[in-house]
Formats: sequence, structure tokens, C-alpha cells
Amino acid sequence: MLNINFPKIEKKDYPNLELNLVEPIHKLNLRGKNRDFFTKAGRILSIMLPTEPNTSATIKSISALWLSPDEWMIYGKDIDKNLMLSLDSEISKLNLGSVTDVSDQWVLINMRGKNVFEVLSKGSPFDFNKFKDTKNVTVQTLLNHVDVILHQNDTNNLDLFVRKSFSEHLWLWINDSSRSL
Amino acid sequence: MSENFRSIETKFLDKTNRISFKYNGKKYYGYKGDTLASALLSNGVHLIGRSFKYHRPRGIMTCGSEEPNAIVQIGGNGSFTEPNVRATEQEIYEGLEASSQNCWPSVEFDIGGINNFISPVIPSGFYYKTFMWPKKFWYSLYEPAIRMSAGLGKSPTQPDPELYDHNHLHCDVLVVGGGISGIIAASISADNGNNTVLIDDKNSLGGSSIYQNNENFKIDDEISSIWLDKKIKELKNKKNLTIKRRTSLAAFHSYNYLLARENLADHKSLDKRLNKLRQRLWKIRAKKVILATGAIERPLIFNNNDRPGVMLANSVKKYIDYYGVRCGDKNIIFTNNDSAYETAISLNKKGINVSIVDIRNNSSSILVKNAKDAGIKIYWNNTVVNTKGYRKIKSIQIMEMSKDGTNVVGKKTNLPCDNLSISGGWTPMVHLFTQSGGKLKFRDSDQIFLPNTEMSDQISVGSCNGDFELDDVIKNTVSECKNFISTSVTDYDSLKVSCPKQKENKNIWLLPNDKPLGKTKPFLDFQNDSTAKDIKLAMREGFKSIEHVKRYTTTGMGTDQGKLANMHALGIISETAGVKMGSLGTTTFRPPYTPLTFGTIVGRNVGTFFDITRKTPIHEWHKNHKAEFENVGQWKRAWYYPKDGESMHQAVQRESKAARESAGILDASTLGKIDIKGTDASEFLNRVYTNAWSKLGIGKCRYGLMLNEDGMVYDDGVTTRLDENHYVMTTTTGGAANVLSKLEDYLQTEWPELDVWLTSVTDHYATASVCGPNSKNILKKLFPILEFNDGNFPHMSFKNTELDGINCRIMRISFTGEHSYEINIESKYGKSLWEKCMDAGKEFNITPYGTETMHLLRAEKGFIIVGQDTDGTMTPIDLQMDWIVSKKKYDFIGKRSLYRSDTMREDRKQLVGLLTDNPNEILEEGAQIVQDEKKQPIEMLGHVTSSYFSPNLNRSIALAVVKNGKNLKGQKLLVPMKDKTINVTVSDFIFFDSKNERLNA
Amino acid sequence: MFIITCPFCGERDQSEFSAGGEAHIIRPKQPTELSDDEWADFLFMRKNIKGVQFERWNHAHGCRKWFNVIRDTSNDKIHAVYKMGEKPPSD
Repeated sequence: MLNINFPKIEKKDYPNLELNLVEPIHKLNLRGKNRDFFTKAGRILSIMLPTEPNTSATIKSISALWLSPDEWMIYGKDIDKNLMLSLDSEISKLNLGSVTDVSDQWVLINMRGKNVFEVLSKGSPFDFNKFKDTKNVTVQTLLNHVDVILHQNDTNNLDLFVRKSFSEHLWLWINDSSRSL
Repeated sequence: MSENFRSIETKFLDKTNRISFKYNGKKYYGYKGDTLASALLSNGVHLIGRSFKYHRPRGIMTCGSEEPNAIVQIGGNGSFTEPNVRATEQEIYEGLEASSQNCWPSVEFDIGGINNFISPVIPSGFYYKTFMWPKKFWYSLYEPAIRMSAGLGKSPTQPDPELYDHNHLHCDVLVVGGGISGIIAASISADNGNNTVLIDDKNSLGGSSIYQNNENFKIDDEISSIWLDKKIKELKNKKNLTIKRRTSLAAFHSYNYLLARENLADHKSLDKRLNKLRQRLWKIRAKKVILATGAIERPLIFNNNDRPGVMLANSVKKYIDYYGVRCGDKNIIFTNNDSAYETAISLNKKGINVSIVDIRNNSSSILVKNAKDAGIKIYWNNTVVNTKGYRKIKSIQIMEMSKDGTNVVGKKTNLPCDNLSISGGWTPMVHLFTQSGGKLKFRDSDQIFLPNTEMSDQISVGSCNGDFELDDVIKNTVSECKNFISTSVTDYDSLKVSCPKQKENKNIWLLPNDKPLGKTKPFLDFQNDSTAKDIKLAMREGFKSIEHVKRYTTTGMGTDQGKLANMHALGIISETAGVKMGSLGTTTFRPPYTPLTFGTIVGRNVGTFFDITRKTPIHEWHKNHKAEFENVGQWKRAWYYPKDGESMHQAVQRESKAARESAGILDASTLGKIDIKGTDASEFLNRVYTNAWSKLGIGKCRYGLMLNEDGMVYDDGVTTRLDENHYVMTTTTGGAANVLSKLEDYLQTEWPELDVWLTSVTDHYATASVCGPNSKNILKKLFPILEFNDGNFPHMSFKNTELDGINCRIMRISFTGEHSYEINIESKYGKSLWEKCMDAGKEFNITPYGTETMHLLRAEKGFIIVGQDTDGTMTPIDLQMDWIVSKKKYDFIGKRSLYRSDTMREDRKQLVGLLTDNPNEILEEGAQIVQDEKKQPIEMLGHVTSSYFSPNLNRSIALAVVKNGKNLKGQKLLVPMKDKTINVTVSDFIFFDSKNERLNA
Repeated sequence: MFIITCPFCGERDQSEFSAGGEAHIIRPKQPTELSDDEWADFLFMRKNIKGVQFERWNHAHGCRKWFNVIRDTSNDKIHAVYKMGEKPPSD
């Protein structure tokens, strides 16, 4: 059997901040723009892909994050191999758009607590003032010079995606920045 | 020493909290709330340091960030030490240690003081003029000697143990400055629902109005300080308002992007700072900015105006009214305006002896009337012509001025004193305004520069906007803010304000003297020791621009950035040159406004966080097996794996031999991987690579070369066709992000009609590359169901398979020239896959190799590395890779450029092999190549791009780019080095297995 | 550090973007038919003026979309932002 190895990220508690690794979890990159693509993706996922910039849609435990007018990140505990296969065969194979498994491209870290934005503000130039009071919003920005995708599920509850090769460095940075909370 | 100079109790100090500190090794006491300056003054200590050039004794002059003289070393000799701290800003804490700078052996007796006596022979430009020749003396003698005596303070020699932080802050309105106008502005802004931040550099709000107890200043029938105190208390309950004290604005950039330094621990004793943040840099984005930065008092420029005990008049007022400290028992105030009379009245009220020298003939101000009524002696129409006292002022000499103010007449009068408070009027602090791109205008009536046009959404209010009288300050602040915030009603609309009015202005930049200028020392820049005569000398020598005069005389170039000096320098230039001051302009105000610690600038980006590091999924294994790592872009790549104390050379020789003789394994996970889908994927590849792709069979791989539009090689890598409309492209490790961005650029802008989707999967896959004659045997063990014969799985093809039920993509491709396979697997299984390969390869002595061996092996085969053997000036033709450039394709990126007259030149630099005549000699990468050493100037033909000792050939090999190299095969060339010249012969660049027999071995 | 309004994502810090040079330089459809001078004109010649300039920017650390920006190079004021393929605003 092959063993699974994730970057050294373990649950951490700081004042009003809890950090957790949410892995393994399936993640898909969807790209497309025509009507058939939207219809198919919507039907298979039971989610209308959000077209409003910086928003997300969540049904049950599957979320679709807007990344650009023709790109989405789909992730969630309810995604399984069958769902991925049917997306691939009904979208990629039929040339309606592209479906790419990026489960291991990104590492998902959950941050929750009142101090989430305090820590993010230390390394991100993004203005979180409006963001933090809005549900189902998403943003792609920089955190300590590293690309991240942030998805706010709930008040002070946020999923952070970081490319795997950067994840250990960013994790150390988040922990270092949380020391002074 | 007991404190003798604390005259009165004030509410600004905590008298119950007595604090001891050390200054130059001696113990003193002060109270919580004291600055080092106020505490020293309360102990009668004025002498703080020696001046930069002449080593003249200098004392405390001001009470704020503009202080030029009282800069000290804080924190003893240890790692906490910090030079150039302004004593007027440093709050005292229990155990504080401070010492004087720029003096040896002590501030009381300083050897460098001799410079003062030889000062006539060291004018401005002395160093430039004197140490020009003989040239060789510069390095051996002049520079070391100057360095010994230069500089203020000592840099710490140990790492900084303290913590610093950065934080971003976004607000609707940022108010800079917590004086009366800043407080009114912040309050109006917050009351109107704006998310407002108010910052002030002091430990308490209120600016100079908070200790303004003069009865002539009233707001709503209350003494102004009492009124203001109430307003400050109200601020604390305001929603939407954040107040940051001890926070000084360092920089104001365009688009209302500002940097501020918040001081969190500098006022706390060292034991309370452990593991706490010391300073934080706020990166502020404000929709609107209100500058209320105030004004600073100007000195007066006269002979020997720099002695300890010469201070700015309003600072003397702050020391008595805020800190309760008198700066002298026999005070003289020397002024050209009415505001200094507030100081006189304040001192007089406390029973402290004071008299006034005023260069004006008279003034009808109520303040002057009050002073006269109090019996204060005023010497009208007089100027100070000299001061006496070495370590502290003892007396001054005054003379009457001629009618036109250009000369002095009559006899000298001696006035004994122990403090001289000077006031030359006020300068609005427009530094931050101009940093943001704002342009200034000049107001002739009181000779000040004022904000004129601004570049971003901002206003300036209060005295930084040229309002110096309380009623104007309040009235204009309120109306400006109403406009700016777009509101019609505020709490401050019908305030009743009364205050004295400034009467009779008189300004003389350089006061007259009975002696010629050359015999006097009228200091402008106290920190850098430049005098009025230095300015005039510079102008005599032909410097006209203020920027040039500044650099030649070093006026305004100290740590205080000439906050006190610059206006006088401008004034003297304009008077001497007969040019209007307004047309002269100012020197450029650059950030930071006050010095920042390096710690604040770097924040937490130290140590591990100095730079970003990327790690492969197999990194842990490399680390556990003692790999040395190499930085490749942000990646940490295994470089080589030294065994039993091997040197790098030994390890690489062993690894390369093993890879060719049996089996080697390389972590290739860092290569960029782009998933390409869409019906036009083949057409897209045709356009971005030089070779043709349409006919590549499904399941086949092909090497591609990507050019820039200018025809130069940009990237390379193997792309595999997974399906009819599905490819996966690999890019170089360093080029991955740029290649993806470039490809997206073409898809989005030039070819939006193409149906192609790109997704980066670099991090999704881990890649283990197994090579060598036994690689096939190893893979057979791992993937028993796969057939590995050349018919089923030939070189340059791909198989989708499984390992323990997990999907794998295996490409049979080679960068070493050996029979080899790249196994790609989801990265979470990467380390496990690697370990399986190691297990399976054990019997074949599988040897992990790093990037150095990879480079060597590929160099033996003459495979290029983009970025090492190319530098953005090499076409595929230059690389002798004509075979990969399709002649049939109508177009691809860079094609047209290959037919430009310059790119078709025969004598361009071309890739060749180089063999040293001595096979054991290894060339240095980067070494220049020539044909004729004697020819002058020597013609550089090219340089060595890659060089190794090949254990498989048992000799050194090198790749190089050489002018016309294609036609030089067999020619002898020279590589001149520092101590020898190496003879080389141009060769083919494929050194090993030129028939590619090993690929299928 | 200026703020750029990405036509898709909205206002963002400059550090999220990368610059891509002068806008509205169209890659010739038939490069092989161009003379050296004509090709060099496309390849090398840029206005690079002090004043209002049409530029390409990429929201590299956001949606990765390229778009056009009208920026005054003398003071960094951005006058307009518009998508690829759109005409610059007329005023």
C-alpha cells in the first residue's frame, strides 16, 4: 500500500483562532464558458456555478468558488470519484470545457475564530472590512507573498487554499504571526 | 543627583511612579511620562553630545522629532543597543541606559573638539578637495581614517532579539496628528459614520494646545487646554474611531498608501518586553487622509547659536508647562514674533527670571502687553551677536540693529543667562504632503511653504496648512472637514474662540553681526554642523540649485533630515542670489519622516521567513538522507547526497557513475506541469512551440522548444498527448509560472477564438525519474502488469497505470541519455512512491542523485538548460537545434524573428563544446573565451556556460557560446584566468553516446 | 503602490498585478509577409510616453485575466480600466 503524506500541518489553537488541516478532500478545477457547460455542471453538481465575482455557492457539503469568469474551484467532502468521472466524461470528453483534478495541487486549511482577519491582515493587502461581514464570499489574493484562495463559509470561519509546495512555509508563517495575538 | 529643576506639579506625569535611569553611567531619576530629555533637564543636564564635524558641545534644543542635537545611544552595549535615538522622543523606563554619541573619551572632554579650532581649514567640500590625490592613498589612508571619525553612534553587533510586525489597515479616513485640529477632524469624521483612524506620535493626545494655559486662549469661555482635554475624553467613546498613540507616520505614498510605525514597547523596561512586539509597521490604505501634522518652530541664525542651553522657545514652554521643568534660572528669550512671549509669560508666572530680546521695534500684541505689565524686560530692535559658555551657555552679547536690519550699531551689551530660548517663527510640516506628490506654494507674508495642489483625496488642516492662530485653526479645520467629509453640521460650528493675534512680522534669515561672516559660526544645520558661511561658500563656488547646495554642504542630510535647517538654507540662498524664495523650490522630502529601525522595515520577514521556500512532496526523504539543498527559484531542490564525509565533487562523481552504470533516481517534482484541454489544443501547441504537434500520436511524448516573439529561446520541456484533445506540458522549474502566464496571455488576447483550457497541475503531481540500464528492471518490479518492451512502451511514450490501486502516469523520456522513466503520481503519495522505487531498486544499487549530477549527465549529452546555456539572446539556430524548428508551419511564436537580418547572421554566438587540452583542468562557468590574448583590445568571443568533470568520460567537458562557433570546430582557443591561460579546443557539444544507443539499452 | 480596479474582481492592491506593456499592439496575422522593418515595428517600437498611456495589466495573483488600463505615467493616475477586446472609453 502507498502511504499518504501531507505537509506537517497539525491542529493549532491560539487566542480566538483555531487552525486545522482539512485533508484529504477532493478539489476540482472547472473551466468553461458556453451555456451547455453551465447546464451540465449545474446538473451534475446540483449547484449553479456562481457568475458574480468573488462569490461562492454551497449546497450540502459541495462548494463552488468563482475564480474568474470561466474558472471555478469545486471542493467538498461529498465529492467522490464517481462525481469526478461523470464531470470528466460529460464535460471534458464532450469538449464543453475542462475538468481537472487538483485535489493535491492545493492544501486546504480551515481558520476559525475572531482573530482570523487579524492574522490575515498581517500578510495580505486585501481589504477585509466588507468581506468579513459577508457569507459565501471568496477572494484570490496574496498572503505573505504566496497565492491563496480564501472562502468564507460562515462568520469568522474561513477555508484557505494554498498550493501544496508553498503550504509548509505559509503554515509556519501563519503560526508565527499568530504568536503575537 | 537630586532633581533641582522640577518647578511645578503637572498632571501629565505620574508622580507616584518614580523611575531611575542611567545616562553616561550616572544614575538619575525622573517620572513616568518623562522623555529622556525632560528627565535630564529636570536634573540640570543639558550637554548631550558632540556635533558631527567640529565636535562642539551640544544640548537639547527641542521637545520633539525635529531634534537635531540630543541624539543618544540607548540600551548599553548589548543586543538591545540602538544609536541615534532622539532623547526628546524616548520615554524613560526603569533601567534605561543612555549614553552620548560622537565623543571620545567623554562628552565632557572630547578629543575631536580640536576640529572646532581647526574649523577655518575644514570648510564645506574639504574632504572632496583634499583627499583627491594621490589616488592610491584613498584606499590605504584617507578612507580608513575618515571612516574612523565618521558616523554618529554605534551599530549593534549582535542580532536584534526583539519582535517586529507588519499589519495592513484599511480605513475611510486617516487623521495624522493628534493636536487640536486633528482631534476636531477625527471627531467630525467619526461622527459622520466614517471608519476613522487617528494617529499621533506622542504618548498622549493634544499637541501643543493640551498645555496651553495662557488666559488669552479661550474656547467657549474655557481655557483652551481645559476645553481640549474634555474633547479628548469624548473621543474615547466614539464608535468608528480608532486611536493609535506612539504611532508616527513614516511615509505617504500615492493612492493614499501610508506607512506608520507604532511603538509598542520602547517605553517599557527590558524585562517587560520579552517575547512581546516592539514595533509594528502599519501599511495603511485610507480612502481619505486628513493631515494635521502641525508646525515646528524655527531657530534664529546668529553667531554661536548652538551652545547647550540654546533652545527653541516653544520647547522651553512645553518643558515648563507639560513636564514642570525649567530649563534655566536666568532665561533670555530671543525672538522675531509674538508667540515666544507665551513662553516668557509662562516662566514669569512661575516666578522664573526671564527677559526678552526682540529684533522688532515693537508689537501691539496682547501677549506683549501682558509681558510688559508683568515687568519683563524687553530689548527691542536688538539682536544677539555672540554667546559664551563652553559646556553650557553663560552669557550673550546683544547689539542694536540698524534701521534696515542689515547691520548692527552702537555698543555691545553683555547679558548673563543660563538659557536662551530662540524663536524665528513657524514652519508648517508639509513633508508628508509633498511625499504624496503634493505641490507647494509660498506665502510671502510669513515666508512659509503651504500645500497647494494634492494628488490624492486628502486635505491639510491646522498649522500645517498655515493657520497659526487658534480661531483660524478651529474655524478653518471645521469648514475644510465639512467639505471633505460632505456634511453640513458639526459639533464645532458655533464655538466661541478668542486668542491673541500675531502683529508686526519681521524675518531676517541670517542676523547681522559686528564681525565679518568668516569670523562667526552661525549654525543652520546643528546636526551636520553646516553654517551660513558654508552655504555662501557653496554659492561662490557655483552651486545654484538647492539640491546641489544641500549635498555640497550636507545641510539637511542628518538623521533629522534638516527639519530645522532647510528653510534658513533656502532663505540665505534666495537672499544671496537675489532670487525669490517661492521660485527656488524646496529640496525633496523623502520617506521616512523620522528614522525607522531596520526591524520595523523587515517585520517578521527574518530567518525562515526571509524568503518563500517551496518544497517537493519528497523533501522529507531527501532531508532524512542528508541531502544538500540548492535554491532553484523558490524551490529547495536536492543538490547532491554526500555519503560518509564526501565532498560535493566526490558525491557527484559517484552519483553520475551509478546512474549510467546501473540506476539513479531524481526528484523531478519541481518541473512545471500544465494540463491542456480543448478541441484546439493541438493547434495551440503548434503556435507556441517551434515544432509540429498535430501528428503526435495519443500516448506519445515530444520535446518542445518555446520562443519569445523575438525568436529567442524562452522555455523547453516534454509535452505528452494523453488524449485527442488533452495534453500535459512540462516546463522548466523556474519558468513554470511565467510560461502559464504567457500562454494565458496569448489565449486571452491574440487567439480568443481557440478552444483551449489551461490548468496548472505542478503541485498536484510528484515525479520520480528513474534512469539507467536497470531502470526497466526496477519498473518491471513496481508495475508487473505493464509490458516494458520497446514495442509496447518505446522511448517518448506514455502509459496510464496503477500502483497499489493509485493512478500513475509513466513517461518514458530521458534528460540523461539513459533508458529512463518518469513516474507521476498524486503528490500525497509522492514520498511513498519514492520509497517504493528505492526498495525495488535496492538490488540494482539505485542511487538518488541531485540537481548537480543531473546537470552533469545532461551536459555529457549536450542537452541545454534554458537559463544556463541560454540567456535570452540565443535562437534555436544559435543552439544548433535547427532540427526542432519546423519549416512547414505557417507561423509560431517567434518564427518571423528567426528571419531577421540580425538573427540570420552567421557570426552570432553559437553553442559549442569545449575540451581543455589538459583533461583534468575544469573550466570556470562564466569564464571568457578569446582567440588572441595579445590583440588590444582583446576580442571576447564568448563564455563558458556549463562545465563539469565527467566520470564517464574521465575528463573535463564544457559547453560554451562562441562567436561563429559553428564554424570553429577543431580550433584552438584560449580561456584567460587570473593566474593562467587555459588552452581549449572547440568540439561537438555531444560528448557521450552521440548515437543515442543507451536510450534503448 | 497604486490600486487597480480589475474589471472582474474589483479594487485590488497593485502587488496582485503584473504589467504587460503597451496595449493595442496587435500581433500581425501574417508575419511572414512583413518586411524586417514592419516586423521590428511590431516587435520593438513602443511609445513609452510621459503622460496618458494605454497599458496591458494582468491580475496575476487573482483571476489571471488580462485587461487594459489607461494610466498617466507622470503621476500614476488611472483614468479607465476596460476588458480585452473592448474599445477604450471615448472621453
